This record gives sequence, C-alpha cells and structure tokens, in this order.
Amino acid sequence: MTSLNHETVNGALVLKPARRIDSNSAKAFEDDAAALLENGPKKVVIDATDLDYISSAGLRVILTTAKKAKSAGGGLTIACAKNNVKEVLAVSGFDNIFGLHDSVAQAISALA
Amino acid sequence: MSARIDMSLANDVQEVARVIDTLEEFGAENGVPAAQSLRFGLALDELITNIISYGLAGRSDGTISLAIEHRDGVLHAELADNGPPFDPLQAETTPPAGDIETREVGGLGLTIVKSFMDRLDYRRVDGFNRLTLEMNVKAA
Repeated sequence: MTSLNHETVNGALVLKPARRIDSNSAKAFEDDAAALLENGPKKVVIDATDLDYISSAGLRVILTTAKKAKSAGGGLTIACAKNNVKEVLAVSGFDNIFGLHDSVAQAISALA
Repeated sequence: MSARIDMSLANDVQEVARVIDTLEEFGAENGVPAAQSLRFGLALDELITNIISYGLAGRSDGTISLAIEHRDGVLHAELADNGPPFDPLQAETTPPAGDIETREVGGLGLTIVKSFMDRLDYRRVDGFNRLTLEMNVKAA
C-alpha cells in the first residue's frame, strides 16, 4: 500500500506528492516511489501541482528515485512546479539536472 | 509592530512539521506573504534537521529552543541547541554540479539556508550553539 498519489499515463509513472516533502515525510515518499518504480514504468514524472514546499531531504529522495529510474533504463523529470519549489530546485541545480516542464504531457514527451 | 513566539522542540525530526505549521500561522497573523513564511520555515527545517540528525543524534538530554520574531519588516529566529560546537556557516556546501549519475546525495541543506537568508550569525555560548537567522520580508 502506498499513500503517494500516482497514476500511469502513456507509459510513464506520474507521482503527485501532496503539500510538503520535508525531512519528516521524505522517507515515506522514497519508499513509496521505490515500490511503484519496481513494479511499474521506469519513466517518472513528478507532478508538483500540489507541492508547496520541498526541503533538501525532499531533493535527496527525488535524486535517489531518479538514480533508480535511470539505472533501470528510464528517467525522471518534473512538471508544474510552483515558484517556491522552483526556487529550491534552482538553488540546488536540480532544475538543470531534471528539467522543469509546464505540463505533465510535456514532461512525458521529454522522457520519450 | 512586533510579535514573538518561543518554542521548545523535542529531539525528534517530526518536530519539523510543527515548526513549519507555526511559521505559516505566525506569518499569516503578521502580514508576511505565505511564500516567504515557507521560505523562512525551510531554512529552519534544514538547520533543525541537521541538529537532530547529527549534533543531538542518540542524545536523551538534547535540548533545542527556537524563538521567532517579526519586527520592522524582518523575520528573526534564534535557534539554540546543546549539541557539540558546530558552526554551520563554516561548513562546506556541495557545489550544484553534476548529472543524475554523478550528483552526490546530500549536502544541500546549508546551501539553501545560505542562499535564502539575508543574515546569519553563529555563537557558542555556555555550552549552546546559538544561530541567529534574519530574512527581510518583501511586499507581496
């Protein structure tokens, strides 16, 4: 069972974290994402529509998820990030590593 | 106009959510735009997480206190802990470089703190690390 909101769209695993990924909730995200990735598509889109907040613990679990996806032949990118979240991604250079997209559809095409 | 909150935190990473909630509420009551309250909360999250994960790890006598103030358009916080002396301002931060395979996991928290805060000051006083953070609040 996972509490992480997710769906499969055009062969991509779309993860939709709620509200915050802080040092307390990061572990649950990491575990849920790992389980979904193991049994699902290896192309991952983080749909950040509902995400208001991400800390370095959150960045860390996105990076570990991306490493797993990549080594399984897939990849990871991010869609619909709000300004607050974009700032954190930019400071850490994660915007360049993963790419930011305005829609989930664009993000999926970028992984194709 | 000034307002202040004093908090005593348990040595438990779950406290981080309470600090962010408190900041959001405190900011809303004091006319601080939500995005800026969250940004200040993020810096505190990073520092408190470090204290709990490293400085006070495994310590049953760990003490953390936090005072938050809003005055003259500035958010202030003083964060104190009785862990071993640690000046986060002198700690090395990870340069943001590399791709998915080469990028190291970790070391980003202090990069975030340093880039989002306007002023930071560290002192070691009477067995406590005392870190002062300040962020200028901008009109929304």
